[in-house]
Amino acid sequence: MLAEDMGKMTYRTRWTFAVSSVVFLVVLAISPFKDFRREWKQYKRAYLRFAQSRPDTKKLLADYRPSIDQIWLPGMNVVDRCTTCHQGITQASLADKAVPLSFRAHPPIPHNVRDWGCTVCHRGQGPATEVAEAHESTLAWEQPVLPTRFIQASCGTCHQSDLPQTPQLTRGRELLAELNCQGCHRLPGIERPAMLGPDLTSVGTKVSREWMYKWLKEPRTIVDKDGNVVVNGYETEEEPRMPKFRLTEAELRGLSAYLSMQKARPIVPYKIDPHVIAVWSKNPELVSQGEVRFRQMFCSTCHSLAVTRAGETKLIGGEIGPELTKVGSKVNPDWLIAWLRSPEGYLPHTRMSHYGWSDEDLYKVTQYITTKLVDSDLLTGVPKLDTPTDQEIQLGHRLFLEKGCASCHTIEGLNPQKDFGPDLSALGGKNASELEFGSAKIPHNLVSYIQAKLQDPGSVNPAARMPQYNWNPADLDAITTALLSMKGAPATSALQNLVVPRKEAAFRPAGAFAEAYERYKCYTCHKFNGYGGDLAPDLTYEGSRAQRQWLVDFLRNPQTLRPTLVLRMPQFNMTDKDAATLADYMTLVLQHPAANPSAIDSKQFTPAMAALGKQLYEVKYQCQSCHTIGGTGGYVGPNLNNAGGWLTPAWIEAWLRNPQALVPDTIEPRRNFTENEVTALTAYLMTLRQSIKPQKTASIMRAPSGAQGAGR
Amino acid sequence: MKPRIWMTAFVLMVLAGAAGCSKHAEAAKADPLLAAYDSEPDWTDSQKIIPLSYQQAQGKRVFYQYCVWCHADATPSGPSNRSNLTPVPPLLNDGTTLNAESDEYMQNIITLGGSAMGKSAMMPPYGRMLSAEEIRSVIAFTRAIAQPPYQPPGRPGSQYSAK
Repeated sequence: MLAEDMGKMTYRTRWTFAVSSVVFLVVLAISPFKDFRREWKQYKRAYLRFAQSRPDTKKLLADYRPSIDQIWLPGMNVVDRCTTCHQGITQASLADKAVPLSFRAHPPIPHNVRDWGCTVCHRGQGPATEVAEAHESTLAWEQPVLPTRFIQASCGTCHQSDLPQTPQLTRGRELLAELNCQGCHRLPGIERPAMLGPDLTSVGTKVSREWMYKWLKEPRTIVDKDGNVVVNGYETEEEPRMPKFRLTEAELRGLSAYLSMQKARPIVPYKIDPHVIAVWSKNPELVSQGEVRFRQMFCSTCHSLAVTRAGETKLIGGEIGPELTKVGSKVNPDWLIAWLRSPEGYLPHTRMSHYGWSDEDLYKVTQYITTKLVDSDLLTGVPKLDTPTDQEIQLGHRLFLEKGCASCHTIEGLNPQKDFGPDLSALGGKNASELEFGSAKIPHNLVSYIQAKLQDPGSVNPAARMPQYNWNPADLDAITTALLSMKGAPATSALQNLVVPRKEAAFRPAGAFAEAYERYKCYTCHKFNGYGGDLAPDLTYEGSRAQRQWLVDFLRNPQTLRPTLVLRMPQFNMTDKDAATLADYMTLVLQHPAANPSAIDSKQFTPAMAALGKQLYEVKYQCQSCHTIGGTGGYVGPNLNNAGGWLTPAWIEAWLRNPQALVPDTIEPRRNFTENEVTALTAYLMTLRQSIKPQKTASIMRAPSGAQGAGR
Repeated sequence: MKPRIWMTAFVLMVLAGAAGCSKHAEAAKADPLLAAYDSEPDWTDSQKIIPLSYQQAQGKRVFYQYCVWCHADATPSGPSNRSNLTPVPPLLNDGTTLNAESDEYMQNIITLGGSAMGKSAMMPPYGRMLSAEEIRSVIAFTRAIAQPPYQPPGRPGSQYSAK
């Protein structure tokens, strides 16, 4: 039957049928062909060929499968198919640069790649199976791969405490805190300090309206006699905390008028003993003596001065306090004396210590500041400003709030503005579609957005209220990294468990010690139990390290132990009582459990032992490569001239056994000393003594600035 | 006439299908510094910036904490201790001296100190304070900044060409 029907078919129908069958088969074949040509399959085959060209083929192909490979971590929202193409990431033999990037081993990092997936750190689209979709930002897949330059941001998403391995992230977080970004923005993990910018409650008693006008226009810019900018506050490495606000003439006049009226706490003028003035005012050495005192007290540890050497002007000195090159032309002399005597009287939260001034010193130093640290051209270009009108004051008051000044600066009676700018706690996780690029011609991705906004806030949003900062490229990348790390609250509770919170450090002493500690602001430079500054040594275990008498002598007259240090402990002119209080507290409380004085048998410190110790010091271990005794030796470690009068034997022994147990990041090499060697070296070091010279009065002390000073 | 129209339609479909699967994504040429974990200016030419991998960057960190005092001419806090020492320690980027030393030798002298390797006892041992990984990273950093540049010794296993 069938054959008969077929026989009836015309030739033409048969031909049509044959052709359409062939075409149909070809079309069917397209699907397997397209499947065969899939991008990831090409990578699979390429890896197979590549592995066969390597000597360790068998190992490389041990877990080879021709299918899609996926790392699935449900708790972390990770579905990463990256290892489908990046098949060699765990193969140590593929670490070398000659291996194509797609097959190269992942560099060794503290995490196992297979336990964490890829997108947790690198971002990008985990489930995508095409190169472009996985790595770039497309319409449907918005999250591009994070450039490796900023990869430390991913560490910071979970590790909210600082890691030694991520210096760029740490620097970025420091910058966020230093530049007072939290004045306007909410930033997770960065605490809002008691005071961001200076308290302006009584600023009208301190500086003139003209100076305010200049500062608001060009903060911290130094211009020489010919009008050339010698120190540009925006281009020096020392970041001014006060940014540039791009104010108009009327706004400058208004704000300066408003601020010059702020005189809530009038200054109480201090009368320097007329006898001192009578003796010194005629003395031609008055100003140079003032300069000597200024240097001897190590004001430069916190304050910098612009110094011109070989035609180049640089700021020399610390960054804790403001730069003082022209402070004499800035502040009211009566205010200066009142401030130096009692800084906390003007600014309750100041980091400036309370110094015990004699009238003589106070007179000399203020005379030096008001005659030498001046610049008659400071206010060049500032128009003549008359007594402020009510209209100007009104405008200034409004601007002070509108421009966000009140976010950083307090004025008594004015409500502080918190969260004036956008909340940045989830900025790092934003997609490009959530950002406003305006007319800026930059690639539409988060990294470019953050960098453009930081460099010129107006470029992405002409109406931006954010002021202008100047960045060097490294700092720009660092702060970008820190911002990228802030991805908001973790999406799942499993992710929440991965967050390593920042350590809360607190040191709250009480009693007489607390009073002295607060008066001298020890925490501005020193750390106690993790709380305080980084400039000077950590004093958490100072009581174990130093002998009590040495502490008293040092506090009374700080001497240097490290000759190369430029920034040294200032001369506080501390009273005997304060020095004794501080030393007593340290000796009793700031103790390390590993340095046990009662375990020391000082009878073992015989001259023979000391002689052996000297041998060990000089010949076997050559400690002189880093430490100085007498006039010779290196200056990496502290000089040991007075080791016997400074250190406790318990500390020396514990230190020799394991320095890192006492100070975790010390660079003192941890050696393998025998117990006998430890005793011998301790015996030797305890014989080293040098009496500290009694403090001379200022008028006879005329040594060059490099030769005296304090600090370690 | 109808089959011809079908055929044309089929041919077009086939062509469209083939075009669809010939899409190839080209890997973007990335800036080497953008793809680097950290970077270090070339010590002999500060205009040149050397990109560093994660491991080399960890080496840089360890170097600037422990080694810089004697193996560089300037330190983060002022003058170097190098001029105080006899024999003068090599600069870390001194390829003329250090390129000839194997990774194993470098690992040993850092771990055990100079005296254990017949060199100056002024070089202290770091084996009890740095991990083997940290020491390897310092060596990786040394190799990265070496002038003249370091050439890894040829090994039979690494003869493969990237092509």
